[in-house]
Amino acid sequence: MRTVVIEADHLRKSYGDTIAVNDLSFTVTAGEVVGLLGPNGAGKTSTINMLTTLLPIDGGSARVGGCDVATRPRAVRSQIGLAGQTAAADEMLTARENLKLFGRLYKIPKSELLALVDEIIERFRMSDYADRPVSTLSGGQRRRLDIVAALVSNPPALFLDEPTTGLDPRTRNELWETIEDLAAGGTAVVLTTQYLEEADRLADHIVMIDGGRVVARGTPRQLKAQLKRDVLEVHLVSGSDLEGALALIGDMPEVAADRATNELHVPIGDGAGTSLQILRRLDDAGIKIADFQLRRPTLDDVFLTLTGPAAAKGGSE
Amino acid sequence: MSTTIFAPAERPGFAESSFIARVREAMQDTATVTWRDMVRTARQPEMLTFAVVMGVFFLLLFNYVFGGAIGAGTGVDYITFLVPGVLVITALQGAQQTSLGLAADLAEGVADRFRSLPMNQGAVIAGRTVADAARNLAGLILLAMVAMVMGFRFGSLVGGIAAIGLTLAVGFAFSWLGAAIAAKVRNQEMVGMLSMFWLFPLMLASSAFAPPESMPGWLQGFATHQPISVAADAVRSLTSGDPAGGDVLYALAWVVGMLVVFIPLSSRLYRNPG
Repeated sequence: MRTVVIEADHLRKSYGDTIAVNDLSFTVTAGEVVGLLGPNGAGKTSTINMLTTLLPIDGGSARVGGCDVATRPRAVRSQIGLAGQTAAADEMLTARENLKLFGRLYKIPKSELLALVDEIIERFRMSDYADRPVSTLSGGQRRRLDIVAALVSNPPALFLDEPTTGLDPRTRNELWETIEDLAAGGTAVVLTTQYLEEADRLADHIVMIDGGRVVARGTPRQLKAQLKRDVLEVHLVSGSDLEGALALIGDMPEVAADRATNELHVPIGDGAGTSLQILRRLDDAGIKIADFQLRRPTLDDVFLTLTGPAAAKGGSE
Repeated sequence: MSTTIFAPAERPGFAESSFIARVREAMQDTATVTWRDMVRTARQPEMLTFAVVMGVFFLLLFNYVFGGAIGAGTGVDYITFLVPGVLVITALQGAQQTSLGLAADLAEGVADRFRSLPMNQGAVIAGRTVADAARNLAGLILLAMVAMVMGFRFGSLVGGIAAIGLTLAVGFAFSWLGAAIAAKVRNQEMVGMLSMFWLFPLMLASSAFAPPESMPGWLQGFATHQPISVAADAVRSLTSGDPAGGDVLYALAWVVGMLVVFIPLSSRLYRNPG
């Protein structure tokens, strides 16, 4: 039985008339990564800021390591590491000096701090640039320092707000490995992201929010299964065939046509059988097919189905 | 790989601790932030150079350009009158640096990091004011050396040390005023502009460069009793070798009064700018 490290309990936050976070609840156990997923303005950062004592909680409550965030902020701060969206290292200090600075503020004993900082630099492969001022580091190096600075005190709860935004694929992969290592070591991680690939790879659980509200939650696999459909994409040679093709398969639900690319998107329940049937119908009618593929649902499909204007209207096009 | 996860109660800095422990933490955090700000100062020596160059500029301008005209009214050798004023003005400009530096800090993400750490939040400001006092000390010593080359003499060694000490204390008090402004405004350009409004009247409508007796009556009251004038008069009495305790006490009263007001105010504004 894993212990619960982070608990958000009916959290609420509003700015004037705008409700940023509306009745949001989730828990994170030790060693678990929870991904908060949602479009811009969904309330991800407000949630992180409330859980890390940076923003007052308007309603509901939250606990980290059993300590209430609103009434015992000091105790909460000693148990969290935070890497926010803005770079939060001192530009004029070197990476090593930054780690020492934060370590001292976390009250790590002086006798251990130097060795600890050396170990961290080694472990996160920062030796090449550890002694250069932060202002001379690349975006990826800074981002890594930001995240690593949140780890100096080896906190049981780690909050990462869009940790890999703007990074190149290699650096992103390295950071993913770092985050996986930390979770394997027992850290509870809350991660916000707009990259579904990132959530798919890292998150044990996903909480999908839109307009401050939970629209879906579950493991990535559950969320994808919940969508219960594959999509057959058929690329026609000629755009003039598009109307005819639509008429032929008009009995299928929710067929979409993309006139710019001459593509048909047909959601299918049972995969291969229906796909073959559709392709045969088109072929029999003499419609030339350039290419087709059967696509499994991605988190993007879940995301687009459940969030944004289409979801708000309560229907799909 | 040392991935021991501390149970909450064993984590360093966890305790909602006694008053003594909180004071000790505040001092420890202030020392840490002071170290950080001093490293920053050392990496941009132009800040220190700028303070000294401004001081030297004032010494040269007032002593050689205006000194002949002003000097007659002071009753002493003008450089003897001028140097204490310029020392105090230099400390005042150090306080402007506090304001600008803190505003820059608050605009950067590093302020958010500080707010999420288990540290005494007032230490962010306290550390900066202490580091700026250290920079001020270096600037004042350099400036005093230039003044001596120009013919200025301290009445006694003890008097000289006391004069520098009092000047530092005045600068420290004004640093907290600057910090309060920065904590409220949080924008470097705005802070720079605002400092014109408190810096120049305090600097020019004072006894730093010329005796207030030569000013119009409506200005004399302000120019005699405002903190920069009081400080300049007190430093003058200390450098003269014939200290008058009253001036020094008056200056110290200003220092204490300003600290009593601006330390709590700036800490509160830092936590809650609204």
